[in-house]
Amino acid sequence: MSLTRRIFLRNSALAVVGTAAVPSFLTRAAFGVAEGGMSNKRLVVIFQRGAADGLNIVVPYAEPQYYALRPSINIPRKAVIDLDGRFGLHPSLAAFQPLWQQRHLAIVHAAGSPDTTRSHFDAQDFMETGTPGVKAIEDGWLNRSLHNLPPLPQKSAFRAIALGPSVPRILSGSEPAVAMNNINDFSVGGKNPKASPAANAFEAMYDHSSDSVLHGTGEETFDAVKMLKAADPGKYTAAAGANYPKGRFGESLRQLAQLIKANLGVQVAFADIGGWDHHVNEGATEGQLANVLSDFSQALAAFWTDLGNLGEETVVVTMSEFGRTARENGNRGTDHGHANVMFVLGGPVKGGKVYGRWPGLDQSQLYEGRDLALTTDFRQVIGEAVDRHMGNKNLAAVFPGFDIQPGKFLKLLG
Amino acid sequence: MTSSLRKFGLLLMCVSLACAVPRLLAKKKDKVPASSPTEQKRAVHALNRLTFGARPGDVEQVMATGVDAWIDSQLRPERIPDNAVESRLISFRTLRMSSREIVEEFPDNQMIKQVMDGKKPMPSDPARRAVFQVQIARLQDKKEDKKEEKKESAALVPAQAPAPVPGSPAASDTAKTAEELAAAAAASGDAAGNAPNNLADANAMSASSSASTSETSMAPPAEPKSTPVDDPEARRREDRLYADLKVQGLIDFPPDQRYKKVMTMSADEQVAFADSLRGGKGQEVLAGLDPRQKETLLAMNNPQAVVSDELVQAKLLRAIYSERQLEEVMTDFWFNHFNVFVNKGADRVLLTNYEQDVIRPRALGKFEDLLVATAKSPAMLFYLDNWLSVGPRSMQALGIPPRAVGPYGPYRPRRYPGRNPNANEKRKANSGLNENYGRELLELHTLSVNGGYSQRDVTEVAKVFTGWTIDKPFEGGGFRFEPRMHEPGPKFVLGHRIKPKGEEEGREVLRRLATSPQTAHFISLKLAQRFVSDDPPPALVDRMAKTFEKKKGDIREVLTTLFHSPEFWADGTYRAKVKTPLEFVASAVRATGADVDDAMPLARKLGDMGMPLYGAQPPTGYSMKADTWVSSSALLNRMNFALALTSGKVHGMKLDVTQLAGGPPPPDATSALSALETKLLAADVSKQTHDSIVAQIEAPAKTRAPDQPDKNKKSPQRKPADVTRPPDASTIAGLLLGSPEFQRK
Repeated sequence: MSLTRRIFLRNSALAVVGTAAVPSFLTRAAFGVAEGGMSNKRLVVIFQRGAADGLNIVVPYAEPQYYALRPSINIPRKAVIDLDGRFGLHPSLAAFQPLWQQRHLAIVHAAGSPDTTRSHFDAQDFMETGTPGVKAIEDGWLNRSLHNLPPLPQKSAFRAIALGPSVPRILSGSEPAVAMNNINDFSVGGKNPKASPAANAFEAMYDHSSDSVLHGTGEETFDAVKMLKAADPGKYTAAAGANYPKGRFGESLRQLAQLIKANLGVQVAFADIGGWDHHVNEGATEGQLANVLSDFSQALAAFWTDLGNLGEETVVVTMSEFGRTARENGNRGTDHGHANVMFVLGGPVKGGKVYGRWPGLDQSQLYEGRDLALTTDFRQVIGEAVDRHMGNKNLAAVFPGFDIQPGKFLKLLG
Repeated sequence: MTSSLRKFGLLLMCVSLACAVPRLLAKKKDKVPASSPTEQKRAVHALNRLTFGARPGDVEQVMATGVDAWIDSQLRPERIPDNAVESRLISFRTLRMSSREIVEEFPDNQMIKQVMDGKKPMPSDPARRAVFQVQIARLQDKKEDKKEEKKESAALVPAQAPAPVPGSPAASDTAKTAEELAAAAAASGDAAGNAPNNLADANAMSASSSASTSETSMAPPAEPKSTPVDDPEARRREDRLYADLKVQGLIDFPPDQRYKKVMTMSADEQVAFADSLRGGKGQEVLAGLDPRQKETLLAMNNPQAVVSDELVQAKLLRAIYSERQLEEVMTDFWFNHFNVFVNKGADRVLLTNYEQDVIRPRALGKFEDLLVATAKSPAMLFYLDNWLSVGPRSMQALGIPPRAVGPYGPYRPRRYPGRNPNANEKRKANSGLNENYGRELLELHTLSVNGGYSQRDVTEVAKVFTGWTIDKPFEGGGFRFEPRMHEPGPKFVLGHRIKPKGEEEGREVLRRLATSPQTAHFISLKLAQRFVSDDPPPALVDRMAKTFEKKKGDIREVLTTLFHSPEFWADGTYRAKVKTPLEFVASAVRATGADVDDAMPLARKLGDMGMPLYGAQPPTGYSMKADTWVSSSALLNRMNFALALTSGKVHGMKLDVTQLAGGPPPPDATSALSALETKLLAADVSKQTHDSIVAQIEAPAKTRAPDQPDKNKKSPQRKPADVTRPPDASTIAGLLLGSPEFQRK
């Protein structure tokens, strides 16, 4: 792209928003020049909403009991992608295989929230607040993880970002967070310069509003709109080989990669993917779970490819509110269970290994006689990322009430 | 004018009948504390909370009626004539059809397959026939595509992933598992609809890119190389081109001939015609047709979308135009409480009846009636999978053939494997409990998550409801109790022993749940959250719960307690709630008095705002609290919607902002602002909002031109005219609808 075209793009973008002065660092950001001294470490959290079936995702194929519990929906031994002789990936996770081989992808099995609820809503809330069993906590751990971090050299409206129509619990709290459904229509009145007066009036209204809820969000919104226009992330197209699948999740990650590549100061980000609650006809190597797994893994693999070198400073953690019953139910599906599997992907990850203690699937080993038992609290996993990767040592504040000991980390980050 | 007089007359009648409620109200009114808001503010508040927003003139009308009398009238929707909205809904035929009729006229894939396979006759009516023909042709196309893909991806597997996936066994397994997948997807209706397409696309892509490399070494000998791939593709492209021309030509005919032309097209042409309607296109072709013809043509493209589109349109039109506003608000409340997701299989065609026959008639009735009606509704039975739940020791699970014993007779828990060759197969598919409904019944419908039940209670409740199933769900059948699926023996629910008595067990559990104090509290809390504030005062919730218990779950009584509570009328409650996207969109349209002809564009906006109607996938439904709906994305969407609405950029409606602003002739900006503040926000506008708009009006050049630190950055492309024109009435109206105060109610 020629310089003149760049300048044109930038200025026409600024003209749309109009009003207040644009900080000078934005112009640099728009050119993609990395800020000296700006912390580029970032943590991306992916939530699989609906309780993913961990036992069919990372399959304990060496356990005869697994096949006994799931006569019609098991993943046959010969169909799994072997990981270590004990566990294998569901074949629809083929996109993860290179990441595993390159040791960028680690797995933690039998992990999750220790709370015993089997309510989707409560369990998701608990994993987002980071305080299982405690409902009084209003803010999310991902938001709190930004407390006490050294401030960025420049304020960024994109420090905490959720891809979606609303700010989820995990990112709500005192640190400003922005929800973006689609970066392409994140502006007032479209791209037409005519909209400028309206945008100005709205900004003035919300900036001076005494409505505390709307005022705060309004302020963050207009900051973000201005930054986004200046940086024009649309010009950061997906890297070669980054083939995002169609659909909302792939689109979320594609746009997140654009924001990261546009050097907008993203430190923590969140995206979610639904469609995991398979009470009926879950399928085995093919079927409902297989379909959503393809979407999930292809999108993440594309995101990783797309980030390129920026992946070195990125850690992605996946989680789901609870696992599913070890036994299949009467409808070739599974009901709500307990422990699950987590993926950790990133530059500093010591991948190619299944972490966590495997509790076994014998009747006596199952939690309440029906579910995979929990051996790793999910806070141990994300705590390590917050501490070791993000550099926030004050874990007691991020996970109140949880006795988290860095000595007990799984050491999955190098 | 006459209609409002009539309404007033009705109210007078109601009062003169001296029924107990108005008198009670009058008494309560005396008790309202001295600091109570003025009558106008009370009217605004009542309209904010009991309706989808005030229309021009509503505040005056409520004041004339008397706020309390008006509230009472809203609690008796059956006495409010609602002809205006009914005439707007007249063209939506599916609203007046049974589920069975809907399925027959707007078939799903199951039904289409049955006709395709000759299990059901092709309808003789040409309109219905056209719908089936197109769908069958498309299904056959898809089948062929799949075959092609399967051949190629089977050939490709070893090339792509050499180590872990053994080549030939996987390839030979594919057919079996693919069939299973198809069966599973068909049976479940496949909630995550587009996932398989993604997969297919990905396969297709990789297939074409590396087909040449794999060809030599990998193709299994049994599979000869397929016929040239681009042959059918080319034919299809040609068809499409031809059809496009034909569709272009259609527009020139008068509506009736246009319709007849389509009906007499060949099947291939009809397919191509239907393709041209994809993605909401082809509106010109549909213009001028009568509703039934329009429906048929739309159904040719996507039969089931006609059903859900009509439902969605009806919901918006009722929210905007119904005089029975509280009934609509409560219908929305209960639908959301007993949420069912429209895109789960058969629910696409079951929701119309669910809302019309199950929810709306009971929206202000007894909670227990509502609970029982939802429990028995095919929509809920399907959504939460209960229709498939089988007692582990039931006759069906044990494989006892139907005629071995009478339906209630004793049986020996022994298998008869030889009797029925299919018994084993059936047992595998449907032989156990499904806890989904049992859990959500306790957690979301009645006791709430803190209601003191255990996992054991969930399992026992699931056993109680085994046998509550649907008679032919894909043919629009109704509730059926199937004794063969029902778990025998007593159950223990929340410390009570439920005696074995078949279907009655479920009724007993529902009765216990409906009369539980936990349920009374939970429902009262949710109602108070909807009508009062996100964190309603506990004392109010307790009083509502008391009414709930005393009046046996009478929802009208609980609401009466709420609407006459000091908490509801407290100053802090006024505009304390942030509107949901639906409330925002409906209230904006109501405020402007727009005449909506096609509500689909509004529905699509709601999708952009994260609240597609009937589109909440989890059983929790949508949140009614501010934190969910206040975000950057949401605010921008609302501002943009407000501007688009008032400048006539939302299609499907007529809107005269000039008139709203006091014209014609178009008033000057300052008087337009003043008129619009009165009309859109009952003249209760914050200084900040007012000043921000005035600033735009008064000093256009100064504030509207971007104030940039670096002059060199000014783009030569900028047109000065665009930024110096003072905002007109439509922009001012848009700014007011996008203002912080309009986001609240």
